[in-house]
Amino acid sequence: MQSMAALLTTQLTHLAPVDILILVLYFVVVIFIGFYVKGSTNTSEEFFLAGREMSAWVAGLSFVSANLGSLELMGWAGASYQYGILAMHWYWIGAIPAMLFLGIVMMPFYYISKTHSVPGYLQLRFGEGSRGLAAVSFGFMTILMSGVNMYAMALVMKVILGWNVSFSIWVGAVTVAIYVMLGGLRSAIINEVLQFVLIWAGAALIPILGLVEAGGWTNLKAQIAHNVGSTDYTHLWSTLGHFRDNPMGVHWTGIVFGLGFVVSFGYWTTDFLVVQRVLSANNLRAAKMAPVIGAAFKMAVPFIVIVPGLLALGIQDPHTHKAIFHLVGENAVDAAHPFSYNEVLPLMLIRYCGPGLLGLGITALVAGFMSGMAGNVSAFSTVWTYDIYGAFINKKASDQHYVAMGRWSTVIGMLVSILTAYLVADAASIMDYVQALFSFFIAPLFGTVVLGMLWKRATKQGGFWGLLVGTAASISMFVYTLRGGSTALSRIALSVDAKPMAETLYRALWSWCICVIVTVVVSYMTKPTPEAQLAGLVYGATPIPDDGAKTLFQKPMFWAVIVITVFFILNIVFF
Amino acid sequence: MAEGTGRGEMLSIWFFVGALTLIYGIVLLPYGAWEWFGGHESPTVLNNLHPTFWWGVLLTLFGGSYTLRYRPRRGDVNKA
Repeated sequence: MQSMAALLTTQLTHLAPVDILILVLYFVVVIFIGFYVKGSTNTSEEFFLAGREMSAWVAGLSFVSANLGSLELMGWAGASYQYGILAMHWYWIGAIPAMLFLGIVMMPFYYISKTHSVPGYLQLRFGEGSRGLAAVSFGFMTILMSGVNMYAMALVMKVILGWNVSFSIWVGAVTVAIYVMLGGLRSAIINEVLQFVLIWAGAALIPILGLVEAGGWTNLKAQIAHNVGSTDYTHLWSTLGHFRDNPMGVHWTGIVFGLGFVVSFGYWTTDFLVVQRVLSANNLRAAKMAPVIGAAFKMAVPFIVIVPGLLALGIQDPHTHKAIFHLVGENAVDAAHPFSYNEVLPLMLIRYCGPGLLGLGITALVAGFMSGMAGNVSAFSTVWTYDIYGAFINKKASDQHYVAMGRWSTVIGMLVSILTAYLVADAASIMDYVQALFSFFIAPLFGTVVLGMLWKRATKQGGFWGLLVGTAASISMFVYTLRGGSTALSRIALSVDAKPMAETLYRALWSWCICVIVTVVVSYMTKPTPEAQLAGLVYGATPIPDDGAKTLFQKPMFWAVIVITVFFILNIVFF
Repeated sequence: MAEGTGRGEMLSIWFFVGALTLIYGIVLLPYGAWEWFGGHESPTVLNNLHPTFWWGVLLTLFGGSYTLRYRPRRGDVNKA
């Protein structure tokens, strides 16, 4: 994206007064919401967990929206241009089973333990060591991610609209800081629900008009096959029999076990940023239903993310019958190919949306970036206040003191994010490293949490050493691949035909396996935890309370079965 | 009940969703009508379908119905 910004002497488009009006209205509304809910965020429960009074629908939409940042939207739209429909796996098998597992199996433990955070659960189950390790790594990563989001927004605004980078960074940061500092998680959740609606309002016209232009899905598939000379780009599973048979260079085992099991379950069930949204639910049934509702909406997201990338791949000039878009990788951008994959979403927006609709689309992107920052900063302030400051620095402060600390840590978190944004601006490669850093912790953390919830014999020492060794193994494999090049990659991903995407999936799988093995071995070598101490924390030692569902339609399990059935049907349709 | 905004508040989270989309509909609808009937269509692909006008209609209907349904009413303060 850096090279892109440098090459373009003028921006892609400009905003008309009606577009600016739409953008300004959004800023006015979010700032108003911050001031409006401030009166309801006086206690720590209200500030950090939105008073635990959100309905299943609000928590569920916020849960899915927290992951629907613009960085992801633009990145996966670009990936679908690059890899075809395979990118859809990150929205379906890479999300749906894990979201349902969180709702049906894990949520009761998170919810009835009354924990404030995922590191907080680790403290209850495995002690202070595991909590400290998880809290420090999560806090550090979250604040860096907020900075990356901030810089990405600034860069996108510069490329599309020619805005000054510092202007975008400061306007975004100050707005987010104001509404999160005032309203805490409540503000963040309300804005995430608004953002979810805005993303659809701003982006849904692209696939609708695109499919009209292409002449429908069947025609689009034929045009893609004609443009790229292969039918591999429109099949979800049939090309995954061998690494060399598909554009992504992956094997179905990597997609099913690496992505569908470890990466996905790790992210959706242990990343506090998303789990925090569900913890805000007002009762156990709502907490179980929220991820199920989130999963149903998540299945629809590829329509506004993956389809635009496929449209860019397939749309042809009606006279010459040749592809209109010729997008390249970031490093290959030049005068002849001025646009990269990552610009596919804004390019499609400009293709179909004139003044007014363009403003709505840009507002949706800005809302996505800002809610990404807000999500990171609100999760950071919770983990900092509860799991670092409250656990290790000042254990006996009043509730008011912790709320004040939450507000201050929001502001300081934003300032560190701004610093990170400027650091990334100086060295774009930091962005890739920060994103890679997240993958170091997620897979082993899932191993630790799932064993802690489902296996009574797991001990404190087992949990701590499993998490530590699993994380160290993930980092070691990353460094090994970085230094060892394609030979190292082929060893991690088990094939000489494997591509970097496969390495990420297999690295997660191996680090999860290592975490689980170390946890099991160390647990058997150490004294078991008395069962009485595991009540409310572990399956088998905890009577699961009734969630209050009276009829079939009130049961989260019923809706989970509906969602997973639709999931299977969709995978078969696009096989 | 004013869902999602806290105890003692009048405006529900769904009211904000409705109000923002209604405002956008009210902005887009006349602008789209001016483009269509005034011959000022922007040079985008498929502009003959008048997407700004029809999207404005959709947002106005969606936002209007949510705003109406979740409008603050007397005695509707959230006590949850």
